[in-house]
Amino acid sequence: MALKEERVIVIDPGKCAGCHSCEMACAMKHFGVCHPYYSRIRIQEFRNVNTFVPITCQACEDAACIKVCPMNARIRLASGAVVTDEDKCIGCRACVYACPFGAPVIHPDTGKTMSCDLCMDDELGPWCVKACTMQQALKFVDVRDAARAKGRDFAAMLKEQHEPPHQEETEFSFSFSVE
Amino acid sequence: MHGWKGRRLRLDLTNRTYEIEQLSVDYFKKWIGGRGFNSDVVYHETWQGMDPLDPDNPLCFGSGPLSGTFAPLSGRTTVSCRSPMTCSNMDTAIHGHGDTNMGGAFGPFMKYAGFDQIIVKGKADKPVWVFIDDGKISFRDASHLWGLGAKKATIKIQEELGDPDVKVSMIGPAGENLVRYACVLNNFSSSGGRTGMGCVMGSKNLKAIAVRGTKPITIARPEEFAKLAWALREKIHNSPSAIRRRAEGSMDLFDVGNAIGINAHRNVSTGFMPGIEEAYGGMQWAEKFLFRRKACWSCPVACGRYTLIKEGKYAGFSCGGPEMESLCNLGCRIDTYDIAAVNVLCGMVNDLGMDSVSAGAALSWTMEAFEKGYITEQDTGGIRLEWGDTETSMKVIDMIARRQGFGDLLAEGNIRVAEKLGIGQDIVPHCRGLEHISVDPRITMGFSLGYAMSTRGSDHLKNYSCVEFPGCAKSRSYQVEEIFGPEGAKKFWEDFPRELNELDTKPVLCAWSEKNKCVADLVSCCCQAIGSWGGAGTWQEAYYPLLVAATGIDLSPEEVFQSAERVVNIERAHWLRDGSGIQDDTHIDRYFDEGVHDGPFKGMLIDREKWAWAQQEYYKTHGWDELGFITEDKARELKIEDILPDMESGKKIIRQWLDSDKKAVTPMFVPTGLKK
Repeated sequence: MALKEERVIVIDPGKCAGCHSCEMACAMKHFGVCHPYYSRIRIQEFRNVNTFVPITCQACEDAACIKVCPMNARIRLASGAVVTDEDKCIGCRACVYACPFGAPVIHPDTGKTMSCDLCMDDELGPWCVKACTMQQALKFVDVRDAARAKGRDFAAMLKEQHEPPHQEETEFSFSFSVE
Repeated sequence: MHGWKGRRLRLDLTNRTYEIEQLSVDYFKKWIGGRGFNSDVVYHETWQGMDPLDPDNPLCFGSGPLSGTFAPLSGRTTVSCRSPMTCSNMDTAIHGHGDTNMGGAFGPFMKYAGFDQIIVKGKADKPVWVFIDDGKISFRDASHLWGLGAKKATIKIQEELGDPDVKVSMIGPAGENLVRYACVLNNFSSSGGRTGMGCVMGSKNLKAIAVRGTKPITIARPEEFAKLAWALREKIHNSPSAIRRRAEGSMDLFDVGNAIGINAHRNVSTGFMPGIEEAYGGMQWAEKFLFRRKACWSCPVACGRYTLIKEGKYAGFSCGGPEMESLCNLGCRIDTYDIAAVNVLCGMVNDLGMDSVSAGAALSWTMEAFEKGYITEQDTGGIRLEWGDTETSMKVIDMIARRQGFGDLLAEGNIRVAEKLGIGQDIVPHCRGLEHISVDPRITMGFSLGYAMSTRGSDHLKNYSCVEFPGCAKSRSYQVEEIFGPEGAKKFWEDFPRELNELDTKPVLCAWSEKNKCVADLVSCCCQAIGSWGGAGTWQEAYYPLLVAATGIDLSPEEVFQSAERVVNIERAHWLRDGSGIQDDTHIDRYFDEGVHDGPFKGMLIDREKWAWAQQEYYKTHGWDELGFITEDKARELKIEDILPDMESGKKIIRQWLDSDKKAVTPMFVPTGLKK
């Protein structure tokens, strides 16, 4: 079985500062206008505790939206992205309800759903990720690295609990251990 | 209309009605945006001698053409009206123009709802809040919100509407109780602090304005706009100063400030605080207290902070902020190294809805007055405030916001407190009644002149340019020629590096920078990005191309710059109409007589003769007359001829005052030779 070579958008809510640049970029790229409603990525705000969670299509391997769509309008592109075929979509929003993340969003003018196409036609790559260059809350990585990076972060956290207390001078600690 | 929305919303709280006004392209070309049409409205809809708490005082919220778009750094909103805080030194009852700029996301959402500007007039009979749901406007009862802090009230409103994405601009208890330096907040902690806009909002019995907007902003040339926005974003992403600002917040200015010795310390009596870098430095602060960064709308930098105190007495306390000014004015200014406590003070001031600079000034003035023996516990109702006493400070801040006991007096602002008590006028660090920010005015003359000439009272955000620092002049050498012209630039480099407290080049620098900063406010972008950290470059590179691509108008850079000059002049005219000219463009005697106490520039002070020269030179650069009044030629050039009759009546007031024996409120230096 061939290894997958897809790239995916990985989200780290801990780094999101709530600037909504990704939304502005997405709306600009796809519709040439500026408003969060025209964006396929959405920041969910919990501003009273300064916590922000970007929600976008995760392009699930076994995607519930594809299965649930009565018109077979949710389709997977060669890039791995799962998008809505607007010609087939009847705007029933079944994919919205079936998606565990609530990632498909409603186009404010047509009422049909839309989700991230990874900006595959653009040399800049996904505009939202590019807009997040400074905060690094969004990353565009190889699907295999997505897991590796997360595991590494968790391991680093564990390491802090398990490593010996920080010691400045090695000699000093030796003198104690002799006794 | 692209970029702009072309509509202005007028709310009348007395009758609970509203009116939507269409604005023409010509109007936008004249005033461009945010601060522009705010200042126009504030000048033309107020009058000489108006009480700022008069229901007719127009409280304006203005957003610019780039606000809410993909353009980076574009989340700013300007709030303006006739200020209850600022005043002339002739008489504290003479007020003038006031405005304040806040981050967050209120401006963008105003535009999504379809309005470039919201003007609030009138006074509700009982507390109300206004909900703007696209074009639908409703006035709602706010009695259950009255008295609540910013955080609780915002959550209540969002819960009531069932929408956590509604943007709420509101006042805290300080605004309700008419503290003269109350602020307007949005997004929980993004505040427009200076000049007491919250006080006017409170006087109208308006607790909050909530906005939900669903309409997109259209762009005249989307492809070009996107390309330009990306170029600017890319520039910011790679800018070392932006990267530093992201990591350290605006606190990155502490170490350079202390190295020069300009961090306002002990009621701005001295500019040097030993060991400030370890206590207040950006990295040190972030390591101890940073929970997460906080960004304004569409800003990739996120210099905003969110504090979480992890250990010690205040463990578990969290709040939005602080930024450098808050830390310096509530910490350094009252001489404390207890940063955890300063964070708590910042959080309190935000939640209560006060300007952290003026609040810190109230504390520090009281402390110095105690030290000098001007006041005793008998004056304060048993409270004793000594340098560095953060715990009593917390108590006093709460008393100010609720106007209890001695706090009732402090809520009036330093200059009025000194006037009422009849003592301590000599230690009020102010220009036009607004207290100095966190830089000592005796060392860097660019700041000093800027404080005195600013159109909203002592402040650096109106006209400061760091080109006066040799390092900045070198890294922004391309700006030097623009500022001084070819001849001036040659001379500038011949005498380079110049002493910071030299006044020679400062009038021209200050007058140029006044317009430079104004452009950022007009397009509603961050003025720091072309100013203190400067990662965006000049406004001609950064904001002008975006403005043209977004709106599709055919304005040249010169015309945009002239619009900025027009705005500066109309704000100035607001002051001049009330007679506040040359006699207010100066500092208190202290800064001419008493040297800096400590630090590398110990003993430094402002020279009276040079100051008088700099004042005149500054007026000349602007094309004003020797009293600082706008001349007929200038007014015609800027197409604001309608101010001319007001200039005449303003001149009468100033002449009368100069000829009378009436003393100034605080002892300030007025150049001699003015009296006939």
